[in-house]
Amino acid sequence: MKMKKILAVMLAMLMLVTCFAACGKKQDADADSPSKTETKKKFVMGVDPEYPPFSYLGDDGKYTGFDVEICRAACEYLGWDFEVFAVNWDNKLIQLDSKECDCVWSGMTILPSMKEAGYIISKPYFDNKQVLLVKENSGFNASKDLAGKDVAVQSGTSGEHLLQEDLKSLADSFKNVVACDSFLKCFTELEGNAVDAVFVDEPVAVSYVAKNSGYKIIDENLGAEQYGIAFRSGDQELCNEIEKAVAHLVESGKYAEIAEKYPDINKDNLTFLK
Amino acid sequence: MDFWIMIEKMLEGFEKTCAIFFLTLLFSLPLGMIITLLSKSKLKIVSGITRFVISVLRGTPLMLQLIAVTYGPYYLFHISVSREKLIPVVIAFSINYAAYFAEIYRSGIESMPVGQYEAAAVLGYSKPKTFMKIILPQVIRRILPSATNEIVTLVKDTSLAFTVSYQEMFTIGKQIANSQTSFVPFVVAGIFYYVFNALVSFIMRRVEKSMSYYKM
Repeated sequence: MKMKKILAVMLAMLMLVTCFAACGKKQDADADSPSKTETKKKFVMGVDPEYPPFSYLGDDGKYTGFDVEICRAACEYLGWDFEVFAVNWDNKLIQLDSKECDCVWSGMTILPSMKEAGYIISKPYFDNKQVLLVKENSGFNASKDLAGKDVAVQSGTSGEHLLQEDLKSLADSFKNVVACDSFLKCFTELEGNAVDAVFVDEPVAVSYVAKNSGYKIIDENLGAEQYGIAFRSGDQELCNEIEKAVAHLVESGKYAEIAEKYPDINKDNLTFLK
Repeated sequence: MDFWIMIEKMLEGFEKTCAIFFLTLLFSLPLGMIITLLSKSKLKIVSGITRFVISVLRGTPLMLQLIAVTYGPYYLFHISVSREKLIPVVIAFSINYAAYFAEIYRSGIESMPVGQYEAAAVLGYSKPKTFMKIILPQVIRRILPSATNEIVTLVKDTSLAFTVSYQEMFTIGKQIANSQTSFVPFVVAGIFYYVFNALVSFIMRRVEKSMSYYKM
């Protein structure tokens, strides 16, 4: 009798699972079905979905951002199907290698180590630098004011990399460098006075200052770097095609048009618009 | 972002969280029993290997096992990574939880007094029959509280699936949080987990009660 009850519970679970599985499948099929023809090439763009304004979850619950819109427009021009794949930023190159996406295109800093590892990197499209975000009334005006203070940085970003290598002397002047796993956590640490500044990419800081009052940016042109698109080794042709499509967007003015939509991205830093 | 769009997105993720939860339970509960029986095998090699496997599964982080199961086959044998991430995720969760369940089963089986086996033998029960009819029902009753512990942990552990880009609820919550610079999605995620776990605890209590016949 008791065993029967257990069996009934297990069966009920099984039914629930099949339900969920069926729901999941149906949605996938819906997502795939529009304009899916055999001959059409599908381009899967790998993005960090937590990196506004370049790539993020928009107000309507769909992925958007400057990089996403440029890629979509490029794929439209090439006549390819376009799909966004959210990568786990820590594992992005593993996910690229294992063909889960065809490129990583998401405000990604070009590092020499990527080229050494054989990845094909596109022409840089954005000049980035690192800035320090501090509270407006904190009295900090330059990086030297932060000597002996705590500074937060997002782990896995080029900012953290810089503090370990090229800007090590600056990092040494800080009391602590606190690594957080997302920008939101870095900013919250700052808001809650757990740290005195956040070392962060300029566009991210500008976007945050625009949305929240009481912060300011210390810009000392630290760690100049460039953003590019990463492709698997051997995908040089794919890289060329995308570059050509983007060049076309620049010529037709579509590129500038999309850039207009993102006021947090400084137009002077977009290398193609110079 | 509109609050309801956020809830809708997170519900979409919650479906996937539930898929991990139910499928993992479905596979790991029986698999755990098989592992227990293997680890109690009279063949030294079988029990030795099984114990080693258990120690590896319990001794390494689930996050690492998820990465190994998902990307290991690609790097070792160039088998392309499954687009349907649910498969590697459920495999990794199932073998990991099976190892824990196996130890829970073992604790239950080893707690049964020898007298019961002897009594069953006197009454003419065969060994398999003794196990199925006399030992197992009591074992299940005894291990229910510790199994509930594991099951509740499983609900919360599903959030680890983000390591391999499986878009479950917490992953989506994180994405919304960072895209909108807001902590609300984390609060919502917390409520989702809590309600789900409250339900699990409630059901497990009912099951325990229904089995009180076997209480000693």
